Amino acid sequence: MLLAIALHMLVAVIVLLIARRAGRWVFAIAAAVPAVTFAWVMSGSAATLAGDARVETLSWAPKIGLESVLRLDVLSFVMIILVSGVGAVVFAFYAAYAKPGERGVGRTAALLSVFAGAMLGLVLADDIFTLYVFWELTTVCSFLLVGGDGVSRAARRSAVQALLVTAIGGLAMLGGLVLLAEASGTYRISEIVANPPSGAAVNVALVLLLVGVVTKSAQVPFHPWLPGAMVAPTPVSAYLHAAAMVKAGVYLLARFAPGFGDVPAWWVPAVVLGSLTMLIGGYRALRETDLKTLLAYGTVSQLGFLTVLMGAGTRAAALAGITLLLAHGLFKSALFLVVGVIDRQTGTRDIRHLSGVGRQSPALAVFAVLALASMAGLPPLLGFVGKETAFEAFTYGGTDTFVLVAIALGSVLTVAYSIRFVWGAFATKTDLPDTAVSTPGIGLLGPVALPALAGLVFGVATPLASTVVDGYPAAMPFGPEASDLALWHGIGVPLGLSVLALVGGYLVYRYPASWQWLCGRLPSALNAQRGYERAVTGLDDVAHKVTGRLQVGSLPAYLGVILVAVFVVAGVGMISDTPLPAEWRWFDNPLQVPLALLVLAGAWAAVFAHRRITAVLFASVVGYGIAALFIVDGGPDLALAQFLVESLTLVVFVFVLRRFPAHFSNLKSIRSFRFGKLAVAATAGILVSLAGVLYSGARTESPTASQEYAERAVSEAGASNVVNAIIVDFRAFDTVGEITVLAVAAAGAASLILAAQRSARRPTESDEDSKASKRKEASR
Amino acid sequence: MTALVTLPVLLPLLAAALSLMLTRFATIQRLLGLIVLLLIVLDAAWLLQVVDSEGPVVVQLGGHAAPFGITMIADRLAALLLLVSAVVTLSVLLFSIGQRITDYGRDTSSTAFHPMYLVLCSGVSLAYVSGDLFNLFVAFEIMLAASYVLITRRTTASRIRAGMTYVIVSLAASLLFITMIALVYAATGTVNLADLADKMGALPDGIQLGLSLLMLVVFGIKAAMVPLHFWLPDSYPTAPAPITAVFAGLLTKVGVYAMIRTQTLVFDHMESWTVLLVLGSLTMIVGALGAIAQDDINRLLSFLLVSHIGFMLFGLALFNELGMTGAILYVVHHIIVQASLFLACGLVTRHTGTVSVNGMSGVAKAYPLIAVLFALPALSLAGIPPFSGFIAKIALFQAGVQEATPIAYVATGAAILTSLLTLYAVGRVWVVSFWGEPSTPHPDPDPTDELIVGTRVTSRSMTTATGGLVAAGLLIIFVAGPLSGISERAATDLLDPSSYREVVLGDSAIAGGGE
Repeated sequence: MLLAIALHMLVAVIVLLIARRAGRWVFAIAAAVPAVTFAWVMSGSAATLAGDARVETLSWAPKIGLESVLRLDVLSFVMIILVSGVGAVVFAFYAAYAKPGERGVGRTAALLSVFAGAMLGLVLADDIFTLYVFWELTTVCSFLLVGGDGVSRAARRSAVQALLVTAIGGLAMLGGLVLLAEASGTYRISEIVANPPSGAAVNVALVLLLVGVVTKSAQVPFHPWLPGAMVAPTPVSAYLHAAAMVKAGVYLLARFAPGFGDVPAWWVPAVVLGSLTMLIGGYRALRETDLKTLLAYGTVSQLGFLTVLMGAGTRAAALAGITLLLAHGLFKSALFLVVGVIDRQTGTRDIRHLSGVGRQSPALAVFAVLALASMAGLPPLLGFVGKETAFEAFTYGGTDTFVLVAIALGSVLTVAYSIRFVWGAFATKTDLPDTAVSTPGIGLLGPVALPALAGLVFGVATPLASTVVDGYPAAMPFGPEASDLALWHGIGVPLGLSVLALVGGYLVYRYPASWQWLCGRLPSALNAQRGYERAVTGLDDVAHKVTGRLQVGSLPAYLGVILVAVFVVAGVGMISDTPLPAEWRWFDNPLQVPLALLVLAGAWAAVFAHRRITAVLFASVVGYGIAALFIVDGGPDLALAQFLVESLTLVVFVFVLRRFPAHFSNLKSIRSFRFGKLAVAATAGILVSLAGVLYSGARTESPTASQEYAERAVSEAGASNVVNAIIVDFRAFDTVGEITVLAVAAAGAASLILAAQRSARRPTESDEDSKASKRKEASR
Repeated sequence: MTALVTLPVLLPLLAAALSLMLTRFATIQRLLGLIVLLLIVLDAAWLLQVVDSEGPVVVQLGGHAAPFGITMIADRLAALLLLVSAVVTLSVLLFSIGQRITDYGRDTSSTAFHPMYLVLCSGVSLAYVSGDLFNLFVAFEIMLAASYVLITRRTTASRIRAGMTYVIVSLAASLLFITMIALVYAATGTVNLADLADKMGALPDGIQLGLSLLMLVVFGIKAAMVPLHFWLPDSYPTAPAPITAVFAGLLTKVGVYAMIRTQTLVFDHMESWTVLLVLGSLTMIVGALGAIAQDDINRLLSFLLVSHIGFMLFGLALFNELGMTGAILYVVHHIIVQASLFLACGLVTRHTGTVSVNGMSGVAKAYPLIAVLFALPALSLAGIPPFSGFIAKIALFQAGVQEATPIAYVATGAAILTSLLTLYAVGRVWVVSFWGEPSTPHPDPDPTDELIVGTRVTSRSMTTATGGLVAAGLLIIFVAGPLSGISERAATDLLDPSSYREVVLGDSAIAGGGE
C-alpha cells in the first residue's frame, strides 16, 4: 500500500520531467499508476471482502505519535474503486480531452497524480495523523488545481475559498482527532472505533470532526466553495469534486460511524445538516443554466444525502450509504465527463445555447442518460437500488419520519434536475439553431461509458454489488438488521416513494412555477456565499484594526510598555510573598543623604529641561552623583570608572548637540505625556530599587562566591585587588567578550561615520567601494 | 572533547579579528568565513553525537571550578541548536557572498560585513553553551553589538532611524538584563546557572516569582513576546534580506532558548505559568493578525515570526515532556524555515524590485524555481503536513490536550486558529504575488540602499544557499524520528535538571583538585 502511494508521488515527478516531450500523453502515463493500484486491490478483493484487513506500518516519529499505519478494509476497498478506478478513467479521459500542445499539462498531471496518491493514503490511513497528512495534502492539491496558473480572478478567488474552508475543517478535525486519541489512549482509528471512548471531551471532539466533514464534503453552510471550484478543468472537477475529494468528508463520517453512530452529538448535526444540504443543493441545481454548475449543486445535494445516510448510524442506513457512495462516484464522474465532452466539442456548456446535441451524438446521449437514470433512481441501475434501501432505512417511525420526508423531497428535486440536464444538454430546442458538434472519438467516449456502464452492471447484478458493500454495514453495531440489496423489494413504502419521486420530479421540472416563487424569498442569512465573504472581510478588518491600534510605531510607547511590564512583574512578586527586612536602615553614612537627593533632583530637572544641553547636563548630575555614592561606599575604582564614562559621554554629547537646535524641537509632544511618562518611569524605578533592597535582604547566607574570590585572589591570581582578579583572571572570558563588544561598537561607529562622509562627498555612490557602484551604474 | 564546546565560540571570534585585517584580500576573507562556519557545523554535529551518547560536556574556563569561574556546558538542547544555527549561518553567509559578488564585484572586500557577521555567530554560539548568567549577558551583548552594526550598514538615513528603534529597545533590554542579574546576585550570591538552581529554591516564593517573571520580561523582549514585540516588525524589515534572515532565524530564538534554559533550570514550575500560556496565545494571535494586515512582504514575515514565537512559549508554558519536546522541535523547525523564507523573499524582491505584495504579480510564472523555494517553507510555516512545521505542531497540540486544563484547551485552540491565519496570510501572498501574469519589475529606487535591489540579477550561490536551507527544512521530514528522539531526551533533561547540576557542580571537586 505504501508502495502504491509512493509510486503516485514518483510518477508525479517523472511526469513533470517529461512533460515537455510527452505533451498531453503525460496523462496516459499518470493513468497507469491508479490503474495498477486498482488492479492490485481487486486482485486481493476476496480476502478484503471476507473481512481480512491488511495492515502496513511505517515508523516516522513514534516519540510524538507520528507513525503511519495503513489498513485496507471494506470501506477503503469501496473508496479505492472510486479513487483509483475512476481516477484511472479520468486520467485517461484527460489525455484525449487536453488539446494538443496545451500548456501546463505537466503541472496538472503531476498535481493530479499527487492528489490520487494522497487520496489513496487518506482512505487507507488507520492512524489519525496519517489521515490528517493526506487530508491536508488533498486540500493543497485542490487549491493548486482550482487556481491553475492563477491568471483569472475567479480562479484565484475560488481557489482561496476552497483552501480556507477546507483548511478550517482540516484543522478542526485535527483538534478533534487529537482529543479523541487522548481520550481513548490510541492513535489507531480502528482501535478507537472498536472501543469508543465517551465523555464531554469526546463530544467536543466529535463535533470538531463533523466540522471537517461538512467543510470537505461541502455541506451547508460551507457548500459554496464547491460550485466555485468549477473553474477548474472539467476532468479535474470530475475527479476531485465529484468522485474523490469531496467524498473524503463522507468517508470520515463512515469511518467513525461504527463507533459513534449512537452519540447524539455525532448523528444529529450530521443528519440535520445533510438533509438541509440535500434540499438546498437540489433547489439551486434547478436554477442553474451552466451544465457544470448544475452538476456541482447536484453533487452538493447528493453529498447531503450521503451525509444523512452515513451519519444516521444504523445498519440499514449504512448499507444504503455505501451503495450510494459507490453509485454516486460512478454516475457523477460519468456526467462530469459528459459535460467535458460537450464543452470541448461544442465550445459551450450553457443550456441556453445547446441544441440538438443528442441527435448529433447519440452515443454520448445514451451514456449520459444511463448515468442520469442512476442519479434519478430509475431501475435497474445501482442508484435505484441504493435509494430504495435508503428509503427503507428510515421507515421505522419516530424522528426517522422527518428524515424520510426530507430525503424523499430531495429525491424529487434530484429527478427534476436530472430531467433538466437531459433536456438542457441533448434536446433539440425549437427556438435555437443546432449547435455544431464535432463527433467525439473513442478516447473521449470510452471513459464516459465505463463508469456509466458500471452503474448498470452493479444494478443488474445486485448480488455482485452486495458482495462489495455488505462488509461495511456488517461492522455497524447499531440499528436493526438491514435487508439485502435488491432490485425488487416488493410493494411497500420505499417503492411508493421511488415512484413518487419520479412523478413529483417530472412535475417540478414541468411546472417551474412550483418552486420559482421561492426565489428571493429565502432569508438572506441562508446565503452562505455572502457569509463567507463577510467573514473574510471581517477578518481583514479586525486584523487592520488590532494591528493599527497596537503597532503605533513610536519608540517611547514601546519603551513605556516595557517599563510597565517591569513594574507589573516586580509588583506581582512583591505582593505575593516577599518578606520585609527585619530592620530598615536609611543610610550607612550621612553623606549618602545629600548625594541621593542630588541624584533625584538631577533626574527630576532633566525631565523638565527645555534645552537639550540642559537635559544632558542634568542627566550627568545623576551620573556624577552616583559616582560620588560609590566613593562613599568605599569603591574608588568603580567611582573612577564612572567619572570617566560620565565625562566622556558628556563630551560626546556636547559635540553631537552642537549640530542640533538648542531647544527640543517637539516640545509640545514631549510635554503632552510628560507626567504619564514620568509616572511610568518613576514607578518602575522605585519598584526595582525596592526589589533590590528586599531581595538582598532575603539572602540567607553570605555569597560563597565573593568570599572565595577574596580568598583565592592572591593565591590563584596573584592579585591583591579582588576586582582585578575577577576581571582578568576568574572571569577573564567575560572581559574578552566585553572588549569584543567595544571593538564592534567602534567599528560600527566608524563605518557609519565614514559612510556619512563619503555619501556627503559623493552623494550618488555607495560607501564601500566606488568602483563597485560604478559597475552597478554601468550595468543598469 | 571540551574543545568541541569552546571552538564554536572562539573560532569565529578569532576569525573575525583576522577578517578585519584581511580587508584587502576579498577572496581570502570570504573563504575564511565559509571555512570557519563549515567547521562549526561539523563541530556541532560531532558534539551533538557525543552529548547524546555520553551526557553533557562541561568546560570550566581557566580551570576555575564552578561556581567561581565561568562554566560552558553543552547538553542536548544546546548542541542541537548549535548545529541548526550553524547550518543557517553558513547558508546565509553563502547567500550574502553571492549577493555581494553580484552587486559589487568579485574584488570588493568588506570592512564591516564579514567581521561583524562572524562576531554575531560567536555570540550566538556562546549564548547556547554558556552556563553562567552573566556570561549569557556577555553573549547577548556580543551578538547584539554585531547586530547593531549589521542593521545600520549600507542604508539610508530613514532606515537608520528604524534601526535605532531596534538598537534602543535592545539596549533597554540589556539594561534590564543587567539589573536582573544584579537582583539575582543580591538574592542568591551566585550567577552560575547550576548553582542558582540550588540557591533559588531556598528563597521565599515571592522573590522566586519576581525573579522568574523578570527573566521572562528580559528574554521576552529578545524573543518578541507580545506585548514586548513591537520593535521587531518595525526594525527587522529595514535590514537587507540575508541580515533579516539571520536575525529572524536566530536572534529571537536565542531569546527563547534563554527563556527555556533559565525557567527550567533555575525555577520550579509555578502555578503562575498560566501567565506564559496566556501571553503565548496572545503572541500567536496578535502576530498572525498583524501579518494579515501587511502589504510589505518583509513586515508580513516579521509578524509571522512574532506569531510563531507564541508556539514555543506555549510548549514551554505547558511544562510537560511532550510540550517541551514540541517547543524544541518548533525552535529547530522555525530557525530553518523562517531564515529560508527571508532568503527566498530576498530573491523575490530582487526580481520584482518591490517589497509590496500587491505590487508584485506572476512570480511563479516568471521564476518558477524561486516560487518553489518560497512555497515550501511557507507551507511548512503554516503547518501543512508533512513539512517540519506540522511535525512540531503535532507535538504541541497533543501536549495541550494532554494538559486538559481549560486554559490549555484555549491555548491549543489559539494555536489551531493561528495555523489557519498563517495559512491565510501566506496563501494571500501566493495568490496575489505569485499567481497571475508577470509584471514588469520596478526600477531600483536607491542604489545605495541594500534593502530593495531590483537588479533582476541573482547569482547561483544565492539560489544554492536558499535551496540548501530549504532542503535542510525538508530533511526534517525524513529525520523526524531521530530528531524527535533527541528532542524528547533533551526535554527530559530540561524537566529534570539534576544531571545538569551534577555535571557542573559535581566536577568542581575534581577540577579544583587539579589546580
